Amino acid sequence: MFRLGSKPKAAFPGSGPERPPGGDATAMLEIRQLRVFHRLIEAVHGIEISVEEGQCVTLLGPNGAGKTSTLSSITGAVRATGSIRLSGEEISRLPIEERCKRGVAISPEGRRIFSNLSVRDNLIMGGAVRADKKALFAEIQEWFGHFPVLGERAEQMAGTLSGGEQQMLAIARALLSRPRILLLDEPSLGLAPQIVGKIFDIIKDLKARGITILLVEQNAAAAIAVSDYVYILNNGRVTRHGEAAEFGDGSGLMGELTGMHA
Amino acid sequence: MRRLSLTRAQRRGLLGSALLSLLILAIVGAYYAWGEAYQARILYAAFVNLLVVVGLQTFMGNANITTFSHAAFMGIAAYVAAICVTPAAMKAIALPDAPWGLNAFQLSPVISALLALLITGGLGLLTGLFMARLTGIGVTIVSIAVLVIVHSIFLHRTDIFKGNQAFFGIPKIFDLPYVAALVIVAIFAARLFRESSVGLKLRASADDEVGARAMGVDVYRARLIAWVVSTLFFAVAGIAYAFYLGTISARPFYFNFVFLTVAMLILGGLRSVTGAVFGTLLISIGLEVVRWLETGPNIAGVKLPQMLGLSGLLLGAVIVVVMAFLPKGMMENREVEDFLPTERH
Amino acid sequence: MDYAIQQALNALSFGAEYALIALGLAIVFSIMSLVNFAHGEVIAFGGYSMVVIGTLLTGNPWILMVGVLAGCVLASVALERIAFRTVRGADLTTGLLTAFGVSIILQNLYLLLGSPRPMAATQFIFLDQTLSFGTLRVSSLQIYETVATILAIVALTVFLRRTTLGMAMRAAALDFEMVRLCGIRANRVIAGAFAISGLLAGLACIFIMARRGSVQPHMGFDPVLVAFVACVIGGFGSLPGAVLGGFLLGVIEVLVLILLPQEAGGLAHAVVFALIALILIWRPDGILSPAREKGDKR
Repeated sequence: MFRLGSKPKAAFPGSGPERPPGGDATAMLEIRQLRVFHRLIEAVHGIEISVEEGQCVTLLGPNGAGKTSTLSSITGAVRATGSIRLSGEEISRLPIEERCKRGVAISPEGRRIFSNLSVRDNLIMGGAVRADKKALFAEIQEWFGHFPVLGERAEQMAGTLSGGEQQMLAIARALLSRPRILLLDEPSLGLAPQIVGKIFDIIKDLKARGITILLVEQNAAAAIAVSDYVYILNNGRVTRHGEAAEFGDGSGLMGELTGMHA
Repeated sequence: MRRLSLTRAQRRGLLGSALLSLLILAIVGAYYAWGEAYQARILYAAFVNLLVVVGLQTFMGNANITTFSHAAFMGIAAYVAAICVTPAAMKAIALPDAPWGLNAFQLSPVISALLALLITGGLGLLTGLFMARLTGIGVTIVSIAVLVIVHSIFLHRTDIFKGNQAFFGIPKIFDLPYVAALVIVAIFAARLFRESSVGLKLRASADDEVGARAMGVDVYRARLIAWVVSTLFFAVAGIAYAFYLGTISARPFYFNFVFLTVAMLILGGLRSVTGAVFGTLLISIGLEVVRWLETGPNIAGVKLPQMLGLSGLLLGAVIVVVMAFLPKGMMENREVEDFLPTERH
Repeated sequence: MDYAIQQALNALSFGAEYALIALGLAIVFSIMSLVNFAHGEVIAFGGYSMVVIGTLLTGNPWILMVGVLAGCVLASVALERIAFRTVRGADLTTGLLTAFGVSIILQNLYLLLGSPRPMAATQFIFLDQTLSFGTLRVSSLQIYETVATILAIVALTVFLRRTTLGMAMRAAALDFEMVRLCGIRANRVIAGAFAISGLLAGLACIFIMARRGSVQPHMGFDPVLVAFVACVIGGFGSLPGAVLGGFLLGVIEVLVLILLPQEAGGLAHAVVFALIALILIWRPDGILSPAREKGDKR
C-alpha cells in the first residue's frame, strides 16, 4: 500500500535539481516548430508546447497522434527539427545521454525497467549521472521509504514485479537523476483500475512537491485531474489546448480523443 | 491447356536475365576475338565462381541469412563427378587404396554429373531439413559446421579423396562455351526463383519473419526449397570445376573460397542476381590484377617488391568498405532491367 | 585413477581456454549483436606484441605478460573504434560480414608485415612443466589455466554485478536505448565491453603462447572458430552459456579423443562438430539462450 509521506518539499528525493533553477521567467520546457520524423515519414508537424516550472502538463490524443513521438524528441531518441529549450538552454542538437545530464528524465511507454537487474540496481542505474554516490544510495533508501513495496523487493529481479510496481520503479528511477523535468509516457497503460488510482496519487504527490511533469496519457479524466494545462494532439498537430479546468472531466472530448468525429 | 501467365516481376526477370546473358556472351566473344590462351583458365574460373555466387544469392540473398557451407557442397559434387568420370586405369594410380571398388569403374560424363547432382542435392535436402528451422545465427553456425565436417572428411579419407594432395587424371570434358551456357541457365534460374511465389515468400520472411508467418507464409518450406535449390547450383559449379581442371584437391573447398565468394556477393548486392554477376566479375578481374602485383612485377622499369597477402588484404578491405558505406551492395535491391528507361504508365 | 584425473584436467584446461575466448565473443554480442570474428586476430595481436616487445625491449616474461594483456585490450578497443563503429546498429549479417572482413585484413597484415612462417616467442614456455604428485603427473600449465579462468570469471561476475558500468552492460544487453536514456554514454559501455573482451583474449593468448611458443598469421582462426561454436551451443549472447559451452566443448573433445580409436584421430574435429550439430537440433537456440520472444525489441 502506497504511503504518502509528509516530508517537507525540499527533502523529497528528486525535487529540484542539484543545480540552481534556470533564470527568470523562462518556462522550464519550451518547444517550438517541432517536426518529428520516423525514417522518412513526418509524425509531428510543427507543434509548440510550453511547460512552466512546477507545472503538470498533459498531452492527450488518440493512438498515433504523435504524443510518444513528442516525448521521444525531447529525450533525443528520435530525429526531430525545431527548437527544444530546457530552462532556456537549447538541447535539440544534443545526444540522448547529454540531455539526461541536462535534466531530462523519462518513465517511458511500457516502463522499460531492466528486467535482468534487481530493483536496487535499476535505481542505481537511474542515478548513474550523479557524481555523489553516497548521496545516491541514501536517496534510494528514502525511496524505499516512500514505496515500501519496492523496498521489500529491493534485491529481486525487476522483471518479477507486477505492472504497478514496475511503474513505481520506473518513476523512482527517473527521478533519481534529479531531473529538471519528468516525462511520463502512459503510466496507466495495462494497469488495473485500483493501481491506476495509486499511480495518479503518486503523480499528484510529485506535483505537490514541485516537480515539473509532462504527462502523456490515454486516460483523459485521471490525467486532467492532476494537470494544470492540457494539449490535445491529433495527427501530429495540436488541435486544442488550455487550462485543465476548461476540460472538465474530459467526457466532452470523446471525438477528439478517439480520432473519430461525429 | 493452361496458359502460362507471368507476373510483371517475372517478365522483368526474363528481361534482366536476357540482358545479363548478353553480357556473358559479350565477354566470351571478346575472349575468342582478342584473348590469349592462358586467359581461358581465368575466365573459366570466374564463371565457376559466378555459378557459386548466383547459387549463394538464391539462398543468402533472398533469406538474408549468411551461410558458409557452399564450398563443402561444391567439393562433394566435384569429387563425385571426378571419381566417376575418371578412367579406371587413371584411378588405379591416383587412388590406389580406394575402397568399395571406387577405382575400378568409369561412368560417362552425363551419368557422373547426374550422380553428383543427386548425391549433393540429397545432402542438401538432409542438411536443409534441420537448417530451415534454425534462427539466423543458428543457420550460420551450422553451415560453418557443415563446412568443417566435410573438409575434415576430405582430409581424413585420403583413400577416397587424397586430402590436400591432387586427385589427378580427370579428363577434360568441359570448355568455355559449356560453362558459359551453364552460367546463362543459372542466371535465368536464379532470377525466376527470385520472382517466383516461393522466392517472394522467402524475401518477405527475411524482412519480417513474424509478419510473414502471420500472413500464412510457410517460412520453413520456403527456406528449405531455397536451400536445396542453392545446393544444386553449388553442385553444378563443382561439376564444372572438376570437368575442366584435370586435377582437384581438398584445399580450395574451405574458408578462403568461402570468403571470396561471399565478398563477391556482398559487393554486388546481396539481394539481386545482377549484383551477384557484377560483384563476381569485378572481383575476379580485380583479383587477377592484384595477384599480378603480388608477384612483384616490373612496372615501367621499377621492380615492385613481393607482397604476399596483398590480395587477401584487399579482399578484406572490400568487404569492410562495402559493409560500412554500401551495405546493400552496388546494386542494392535493383536488377539490371531497373536501369532501362521505364515505360510511362 | 591417475588417468581419470589427467583426462579430467585435460578437459578442464581445454574447456577453460574455450570459455575465456567464448566469453569475449559473448560479451560483445550480448550488447551489440555483433559476432566479432576478428576476435581471433586480437589473440594473434597479443602474440605479435610478444615478439615485438621481446625483441625491442626485454625478454622478462612478467613484463611480457602485461604487454600481451595491454596489447590485446588496445587492439580490441581500437578495432571497435575504427572498424565497428560505422556498422553499429546495423543488422546481424552486416556486422558479421564486417567482422569477417576485418579478420581477413588483419590476418593478411600479419602476413605482409610479419612473416608467413611462424615467429618464435618462447618466453612463456616455462609455465608448462610436468608436476608429480606421487604417481600422478600433470601439466602445471593446465592447472594455471583452469585456476586463472575461474578467477577471471569470478572477477567478471563481480564487475558485472557491483559496478555501474557492469550493470549498464547487463542492462544494455536487454535495452540499450534505455541505458542511454539514463545518461550513460553508449560509447563507454561498448568500449568497456571490447576492453573486457580484449582482456580475456589476452589471458587466453598467454596460455596459448605458453603451449605453442610461436606466432603465425592464422593462429587466431581456429580458437575463435571453436569459441564461436561454444557460444552457440551455450546460447549466443548468454555469458553463462558461453562458459558452459566452452567447458562442454572441452569435455566433448577429451571424450572423443579417448573413445575414438587411434586411426580415426583426425576425425575428432568432425565428430565434435557433428555432436554440435546434434545439440543444435535438440536446442536450436542454444542450451542457455537468453529468453527472447520473436516480437521483442531486440
